[in-house]
Amino acid sequence: MLEQLQTLISLEGAVRWGRALFLVVLGLLLALMTSRLLQRVMRRRMTAHVAQIVRRLVFYSVLGVFIAAAMSELGFSLTVIMGAAGILTVAIGFASQTTASNLISGLFLIGEHSFEVGDLIRVGDLTGEVLSIDALSVKLKTFDNLFVRIPNETLIKSQVTTLTRYPIRRIDLALGVAYKEDIEHVREILARVADANPLCLDEPAPQFIFTGFGDSSLNIQFSVWVVRENFLELRNAISAEIKKAFDESGIEIPFPHRTLYAGEATRPFPVMLVEDAPSRDQSGPDSNSQDGC
Amino acid sequence: MKIELGHGDGEWLLWSASDVEDDRPARSRMAVRRGLPEEVHERFVHDGPDRQVTLAPVLGDRPVVARPRQPVYLLSKQEVTFYLSTPIWLKILVGSSQLMLRELASIRLSDTWFGPSTRVGELCYANRTHARRNLAEVPLRPHRAITPLRIRNNAQEALPLEKISLPVPMLPLFGAEDGSLWTQRATLVRDEVSDLASVRIEASKDHLDPYGRPLTRIAAPRHENPMAVVRAFSTFFQGF
Repeated sequence: MLEQLQTLISLEGAVRWGRALFLVVLGLLLALMTSRLLQRVMRRRMTAHVAQIVRRLVFYSVLGVFIAAAMSELGFSLTVIMGAAGILTVAIGFASQTTASNLISGLFLIGEHSFEVGDLIRVGDLTGEVLSIDALSVKLKTFDNLFVRIPNETLIKSQVTTLTRYPIRRIDLALGVAYKEDIEHVREILARVADANPLCLDEPAPQFIFTGFGDSSLNIQFSVWVVRENFLELRNAISAEIKKAFDESGIEIPFPHRTLYAGEATRPFPVMLVEDAPSRDQSGPDSNSQDGC
Repeated sequence: MKIELGHGDGEWLLWSASDVEDDRPARSRMAVRRGLPEEVHERFVHDGPDRQVTLAPVLGDRPVVARPRQPVYLLSKQEVTFYLSTPIWLKILVGSSQLMLRELASIRLSDTWFGPSTRVGELCYANRTHARRNLAEVPLRPHRAITPLRIRNNAQEALPLEKISLPVPMLPLFGAEDGSLWTQRATLVRDEVSDLASVRIEASKDHLDPYGRPLTRIAAPRHENPMAVVRAFSTFFQGF
């Protein structure tokens, strides 16, 4: 009788474990299917970033419900589990402050909407495309095809520039022309160059800013607007076009000049214009003697 | 613009170049000769013997922002019709099933931004216009389609017309017997109290040009959404 009861209990235990396992597997399958289905439906309606967040949320929610059901099947009380999870979270939180900080930073990053998956961002010296925004870190792909992981905590603390937030961007070109040049003429030439390039936006209009009298040149900032997809193409093209236009108009882009001045008290340096120097054969004995001095 | 299209052994060879527009009268020329283009930009391969080529004019793929060469003001309670021309695009279609090889702009207009700020707006093409009101003065050029645009200013103040955005992707294209190209008429009214413009697109079935000659519909609008037309037109006065 006792043996039969023990067999029944062990059988019942096995059935419970089996049910729990079945629930977990079912939950996993359902979570996978639901999240994939959602991804397909959302692909066209939402941005990649939002779709990724929703997919993960749905996956873990469905899985969580089924795991809770499995635990309940095994006889665990959900209240106790939640309580234990709370205590465990505090314990883990103390033990892994960095991870917790990254996790919370990740939530703020997602909430802030500073950038999304697919955006181009600059963090410090690093520029790259956002591949994913995860719980602990953000993954980037740089232009030279490197995979970079940046902890969320670092991102929250640093200055992040999103290069692809707005559809148009400004290119600032720092130019210098010789002091002899007419600034108004230079301005006209630059306006013509910008007007001739179809990638350079008509509105907002190009800006000509005189930035000051430099050491060797009149310094100018010429700013043009461009659609962000054409940023590099225009930056390269317009620099070449400005150089060509300056060359054609005879406008000098000066090298750094340095004038030596000996001061008022002393006599100026004797400067002689040296033309074709006479050959040694033609020079007389006097000149030879001077050479020797 | 210049296009050279050659048909080789199972392939189409395309060479194209765009010109800068000047004040010289424009004309279109076409010649057929043996041989292939000397220079080739693109090759399109196929497996059929079909040699049919169709050049189909269409309106541009983005709105065109026309800026009058001099500031123009429409006085209060007045109504005028401007004739604005926009460069057309050419679709190169081959074969009896009209497969598209390429779509080329007759003139590559400069890009421009049309909107209240650098954050919000729409990418358009920029075009300078004489804002002609006299139809006889409007040159009929083979590479430009003319849009008659009637503007009424119901407000008490004069309306400065600095920029006019024509949503050409939403307009159909028509052709007259003399080869001139026209788009659907548009009427735009500035309300007395509001800066918003209400728009009416003339959708009569018997399409006539301003001279009263019948027009043939050559191309459908790129975007058929009528709501989009209203939205686009409602931005007419932005930037004024």
